[in-house]
Amino acid sequence: MSSSLLLSKKNSDVTENGTYKHTTSPIVTGTSVLALKYKDGVMMASDCLASYGSLARFRNVRRLQPIGTHTILGASGEISDFQFIQNQFEGLMLKEHVEDGQKLETSSIYRYLSNVMYGRRSKVDPLWNKYIVAGVEPSKNNNIFLGFVDLYGTTYQSSVMATGFGAHIALPIMRKYAEPRADSLTEEEASKILDDCMRVLYYRDARSFNKIQKAKVTAQGVEISEPYSLSTNWDFAESIIGYGS
Amino acid sequence: MFRNQYDNDASTWSPQGRIFQIEYAIEAVKQGSAVVGLKSNTHAVLVARSPNELASYQKKIVKIDKHMGVAIAGLTSDARVLGNYLRSEAMRFRMVYDLQIPVGRAMEALGSKAQTNTQVYGGRPYGVGLLVIGKDSKGPHLFEFSPSGMTSEYFAFSIGSRSQTARTYLERNYAQFENMDLKTLIKEGLTALKDTLPQDKQLDAENTSIAFVGVDQDLTIVDGPEVAAYLETIDSTEMELE
Amino acid sequence: MTSVGTGYDLSVSTYSPDGRLFQVEYAGKAVDNSGTTIGIRTKDGVVLAVEKIIPTKLEVPGSNKRIFSIDKHIGFASSGWMPDVKGLVARAREEAWEYQKLYKVPTPSKILAERIGMYIQAYTLYSSVRPFGAMPIMASVDKDGPQLYMFETSGAYYGYRGCATGKAKQLARTELEKLDIDSLSIRDAIKEAARIIYTVHDDSKDKLFELELAWVSQESGNVFSKVPQDIFDEAVQYAKRANDDDSDDDDDL
Repeated sequence: MSSSLLLSKKNSDVTENGTYKHTTSPIVTGTSVLALKYKDGVMMASDCLASYGSLARFRNVRRLQPIGTHTILGASGEISDFQFIQNQFEGLMLKEHVEDGQKLETSSIYRYLSNVMYGRRSKVDPLWNKYIVAGVEPSKNNNIFLGFVDLYGTTYQSSVMATGFGAHIALPIMRKYAEPRADSLTEEEASKILDDCMRVLYYRDARSFNKIQKAKVTAQGVEISEPYSLSTNWDFAESIIGYGS
Repeated sequence: MFRNQYDNDASTWSPQGRIFQIEYAIEAVKQGSAVVGLKSNTHAVLVARSPNELASYQKKIVKIDKHMGVAIAGLTSDARVLGNYLRSEAMRFRMVYDLQIPVGRAMEALGSKAQTNTQVYGGRPYGVGLLVIGKDSKGPHLFEFSPSGMTSEYFAFSIGSRSQTARTYLERNYAQFENMDLKTLIKEGLTALKDTLPQDKQLDAENTSIAFVGVDQDLTIVDGPEVAAYLETIDSTEMELE
Repeated sequence: MTSVGTGYDLSVSTYSPDGRLFQVEYAGKAVDNSGTTIGIRTKDGVVLAVEKIIPTKLEVPGSNKRIFSIDKHIGFASSGWMPDVKGLVARAREEAWEYQKLYKVPTPSKILAERIGMYIQAYTLYSSVRPFGAMPIMASVDKDGPQLYMFETSGAYYGYRGCATGKAKQLARTELEKLDIDSLSIRDAIKEAARIIYTVHDDSKDKLFELELAWVSQESGNVFSKVPQDIFDEAVQYAKRANDDDSDDDDDL
């Protein structure tokens, strides 16, 4: 097909040489999501910022989404793509509700999301996100599930997990304090590790924010906190020339 | 040529609000040899006898997935189409959700596929009835699929030629099936199936098939010599009675 | 029906000389052959009730339900040819979801009703298809309050305060007309719906039946759902008592 014919369709996706160009970079983005397994379930944290480039554009965005009764989805990357996925899940859950009330458990939700992500990447039109799916599966003896999927459709499961800058900064901390004790970690300990990691990220990641949310899933279901502010201490800045003074 | 004006195709209602082509398709089910299905709280069972006396017996029970199997009565070639459809639905479900397809879901999909054939001119309804057994998070199930696209769930049921006698037996006894162990359940199934046989025919290891699935057991199809052991259970009961 | 057998009743794309579409009317006969369905719309909610006739006791209770959720706040109950009913239900669910996906608001029942009406009507236009043998009743609570619609086999639909379809629709309508629907609470409407189904059920024709009751109201959180077990039991008790009283009266005569 000649390129002029394609162009005559006035499809803005089509370049001059007749090829398609899809998303090559995200626009409005969320930064790290952190998650870890603990004694009673799984816990997740993210901040409430959606950046437009380096501009802190939207400061009250929720990036932790409950899916059904025992699963949470944490999103980093392109916010509009995340909103698309939220719509997909809303439809899926409605279908479950109206058809037979069959409840999809975390590993099914994870598989579904992984298929969507890999399907889009195979069309070379990826959804620009990294997702963490966490939950507890009542029908599988309250199995604790924690899985990752990214814009390429790459998947892995682990007992500690982080996306974005958190994968560099927070993951080593979680590996040290959470991973070896995943079976015995209490809720309070898990909560403190995540708060500490989020605080370190706020100091180090210029796209992060100190207003955060935490969520947990236990056999009892999902609980997501309201956004709250992390305490920070900037005294050290005093001693840095050109920073605080 | 036709019995009445309204029975040419499935897209015409009769003045009584019937669709004769569907009713005739259901007749095709009655031409097939009978199959019996039944379930307890823990297991679902299918038993069937193949009528073919020639070189080999036509398969009456086929596997759909690890947790699901069907027995067929009617046009075998139509059954193959529906069987393949069920298999692809089951595999699609596994692919998308990492889950064995809930039996009710599979039946809904099948029913809706068959319904289309009954509303559009140019096609015909499927000429086969199915009994489907399977398990999911809600336990074992037994469903019937009819050419009309109707799917119903049963404690016990039978379709095919002379299946009424089997249904009569099942109606009298189904209340006890609930707590039966697998072996006794199969025995009950074979007893019901035996009632449907033509006068001079017997159940034997060559012509009888058994399938079962349990809450903690994948679908198992028993064919050939192994069937003999199960057939003995009904023979011995008869001896006791004599 | 004088035109029966004259050949004007074989296709839905052929009018009879007096301007009727017989295939549409015959589809309605399929509805008259099946159990009765009723709907009552009160100020604070809608209740749907079905007399589900059971062909054999071998069938598992709850199999082949005739009441369906369409959206969170919308439900269907239908007399008629079951596979056709399910076909309409599937379509209604799609329409409801497509609307919600596009506009991000719960589908208004007025709009869903129109779309379903159009869909049913499309199957009365062409010789290559037959009309749906179903008359669904749709219940919902949306921004305009409780809503009740009933669809005919022609695709025509109307809003109702009380409506009935199926085998005993005449008797059921007479019973509905006796009620002072405007002053009924949803709880009372549930009882009356159950009573009417028990009243119109004909034991001599169909031995086994299952009562299905569903509602959507403020009390159900504006979610269309099965009537909770305790309210259901209460309604059944009321229905049985009311019908026993009736038969006592008959004895006195």
